[in-house]
Amino acid sequence: MSEIILSLDGVSKTFSGKPAVRDLSFSVKRGEITGFLGPNGAGKSTSLRMALGILTPDSGRVSLFGGRPRASALERVGFLPEERGIYRKMKVIDVIIFFARLKGVAPVEARRRGLVMLEEFGLADVADSKVKTLSKGMAQKIQIISTLIHDPEFIILDEPFSGLDPVNQKALEQIVRARAEAGATILFSTHVMEHAERLCDQIVLVAKGRKVFDGTVEAALAMIPRRVILETVSEHDLTQTFAPLGAVVQEAGAADGARRWLIDLGPGIDAQDVLKACVDGNIRLLRFEPARAHLHDAFVHLVETSGQFSTETLAGEAV
Amino acid sequence: MRAIYLIARREYLSYVATWGFWLSLASMPMFMALGFGLPILIENSQPTRYYALIDESGGVLEAAIEEQRSAAREARTAATRDAATEMLGDDPAIQAAIAEAAHPVEKYIRVYPDATDIETLRPYLLGEMMVETDAGPQPLFAAIYLRQGAGGAIEIEYWSTNLTDGELRSDIRRTLREYMQLNRLLENGVSPELVAAAGELTPTVRELNPERSAEAAEVTTAERLPIIVAIAVAFGLWIVIFSVVNMLLTAMIEEKGNKVLEMMLASSRHHEILTGKLLGVAGVSTTLLLAWGGLAATVGLVAQQFAFAAGLPLGDILGAVLDPALIFPAIGYFIIGYLMYGAIFLAIGSLCETLQDAQTLMSPMMLIMMVPLFLVMVAADAPDSPIIVIASWVPLWTPFIMLARLPQDPALFDVIGTTLVMIITAAAVIWGAGVMFRMGALNQANQDTVKGWFRLGGKRKPG
Repeated sequence: MSEIILSLDGVSKTFSGKPAVRDLSFSVKRGEITGFLGPNGAGKSTSLRMALGILTPDSGRVSLFGGRPRASALERVGFLPEERGIYRKMKVIDVIIFFARLKGVAPVEARRRGLVMLEEFGLADVADSKVKTLSKGMAQKIQIISTLIHDPEFIILDEPFSGLDPVNQKALEQIVRARAEAGATILFSTHVMEHAERLCDQIVLVAKGRKVFDGTVEAALAMIPRRVILETVSEHDLTQTFAPLGAVVQEAGAADGARRWLIDLGPGIDAQDVLKACVDGNIRLLRFEPARAHLHDAFVHLVETSGQFSTETLAGEAV
Repeated sequence: MRAIYLIARREYLSYVATWGFWLSLASMPMFMALGFGLPILIENSQPTRYYALIDESGGVLEAAIEEQRSAAREARTAATRDAATEMLGDDPAIQAAIAEAAHPVEKYIRVYPDATDIETLRPYLLGEMMVETDAGPQPLFAAIYLRQGAGGAIEIEYWSTNLTDGELRSDIRRTLREYMQLNRLLENGVSPELVAAAGELTPTVRELNPERSAEAAEVTTAERLPIIVAIAVAFGLWIVIFSVVNMLLTAMIEEKGNKVLEMMLASSRHHEILTGKLLGVAGVSTTLLLAWGGLAATVGLVAQQFAFAAGLPLGDILGAVLDPALIFPAIGYFIIGYLMYGAIFLAIGSLCETLQDAQTLMSPMMLIMMVPLFLVMVAADAPDSPIIVIASWVPLWTPFIMLARLPQDPALFDVIGTTLVMIITAAAVIWGAGVMFRMGALNQANQDTVKGWFRLGGKRKPG
C-alpha cells in the first residue's frame, strides 16, 4: 500500500460565519499526481493552506508526512501559492538563493542549483537582473524555480497555470510530469479541467467547500453517461426508436432538412447498439458521433447531482 | 531560528539599500547643522538696509542715536576680536590680521538724502527710485522722522514698506527711551555717574540643592547636563523609531502589494516573518544610532582640538550620555518602544496594499506619535506637572516621557509602574499585531476590518 503523504480528515474552516471548507476528507499518496479541482471560491486555497499549517482548521485533522503540519515539514514541501509574488527589487539569483536557504539549502549549493535551473528554464541570461525588469511570465517561472529549488518530495501548486500563456502552460505540464517521474508527489489545484485530465492520476473535486468526487480520472468520466450525437434526414420523431438505448433529446442547430439527436446512453449500452438501431430502423444518417467524455462534463454532472450548483454557474466557472 | 535570521538579514540589507535609509542617516546631522547654522545663515544672508534719519528737533535726538549705534558697533567688534583671539591665539601677526578683519558687517546703514520731506522720499521708499550709496544705487528701507514736543515727549514717525523687519525701529525706540529716562533723571538732580553706576547693578544668584549641605550644595552647570542630555536622547529615540517604523510600513505595504507574503508563508511561519522583519529593522535602527553616535563623537573630538571649544564641558556631556542611570533605561525604552510601534506599523502594513489604504489607519497613529514630542519639551521644565505624570503612564508615550523625566528623580512608583504597564502593553500589542499580521497576510482582514471594530453603534445594513 502506498504511503500517505497528506491526509485531510473531516476538515472544516469558516471565515466570519461563512463556511469555506466543510467536512473535507481526502489523501494524497506518494508518487502520485493529484488534481484538486473546483470552481473559484470552492475552498481549494483554504484547504491547501490548512494542509500546510498556514491556517488552522476549525475542526477535523490534517496529517502531513504522518504528523501535524509543523514548520519543519515545510522543508520537504514546495508550495507555489495562488497569490504569489517575489521581491521585485532583488536580483533573480538572489531571490532564488533566499528561498532555497529558507528551505535549508546551503548558500553555495543554492547558487549552483539556481543557476542550473535558470539554464533549464531558459532564463540564464537574467540571473543578475532585477526581478522588476522581467515579464510576468518570466517572473512566474522564477517563482516556480523558487518553489522547486530545494528538490521537494511533495510539491503543492495552487492554480499554477493561471497567468501563463499556452506555451508556458505546456512547459509547466512537462515540469510537473518530470518531477513526478523523478519520484515527487504532486498536488495541484486548478479550475481548468484539461490540465487535470492530462496530468492527474487522482482527482479530488470540490464545490462550495465540499468534496463531490475523489478517485481516478477514468472513474470520474465513468460517472457521466456516454453520449452519441446523431443527425438524420428522417421527418419522423425518433425519440421512441432510441428510448430503449438511453435518454434522448432533440437539439436545434442541425443543417437544413436534418434533425440532431443527443442520446445519453443507458447502462450496458454502447455506441454500436445505437448504430445497429439506426440500421435496423432504416434511418438515413448524416452524422454519427460517439462523443468523448471530458472531465469538465464529469465535474458539471457530479456537482449538479450533488445539488450544490446550477449548471449555469458551473459552466461559467469551471472551464 | 534560521528563517528568522534569513528574513532579518534580507530585511536589513534591503533597507540599507534604500534612499530612505541614507536620508534617515543624514537627517540627524542635517537637522543639527540646520539648527545651528540656519540662524547664522539667515543673519548673514539678510541684505544691508539703507535708512534716512531726519531729526526735526535740531539734532539732539539724532546725536543720541548715533552715539548708541556707534557704541553697539564697538562692542560687537570687540566681541568678534576676543573670540578670534581665543581661538587663534595672541600672536602679533594674527592679532594684526584680526584687527584688520574684525569689522562686523553693518546691517543698517544711514544715508543722507538731499530732500527730507516724505513726499520726496516716498518714491525711494516704494522702490521707484534708488538712493546713491557706496554699494551703488539701493532702495530706501525706511525714513525715520524724530520730533520732540513739550515736556520732553518724543515722537518717532517710521515710514517703511517692510512690515516684518522691525529691528531698526526697535533699536531707535529703545535708544530714545533710554535717552528720555536719562534726561528725566538728570533733570531731577541725579548725577550721570550715579546713573551709570545704577545701570551696572545686578544681583548675584547662587543656586543651591537642599539635598546637599555647605559648599557641596552649589548647583553647577554640569549638574543640569543629564536633564539636557536626557531630553536630547528622548528626541533621538523618537526620531529613530519614527524613521524606521515608517520604513517598515512602506516595505510591508510593498510586500503585501507584490504578493510576496504568501510565498514567504510557504517557507516560514507568521511569527518567524514578523520577528525577522522586526529584527531586521532593529538592525537598521542600531546602525543609525551607531552612525549618529560615531559622528557625534568625531565632531566632539574635532571640536575639542580648537581652543574656543575648550570651555565646552565635553567630558561632562559624554559622562551624562554614558551614565548607566540613563543609558540602560534608554536602551530598554528603545527596545520596548520600537517593538510596540514596529509591531503596530507592521500590522497596519499587512492590512493594506497601497499607501493610500494605510493613510486612514496611519493618521491616528501619527497623532499619537506626535504627542510625546511636545510633552518631552514640557517635561524638561516641569517634570512633576500632572499632565506629564499622567502622560508618562500612557504606554505608547512612556519610553519618551519617562526618559526625559528620569534625571529629575521621578517617584519610584512612577518608574516601576509605568515600566510594568509599558511591558504588559508591549506584550499585548505584539500579540495583537501578530494576529492582525496573520489575518492581513492571508487577506482575511484589511483596513475596513479595523474600521469596523471602531464603528460602534452603527446601523446594520439591511440583509
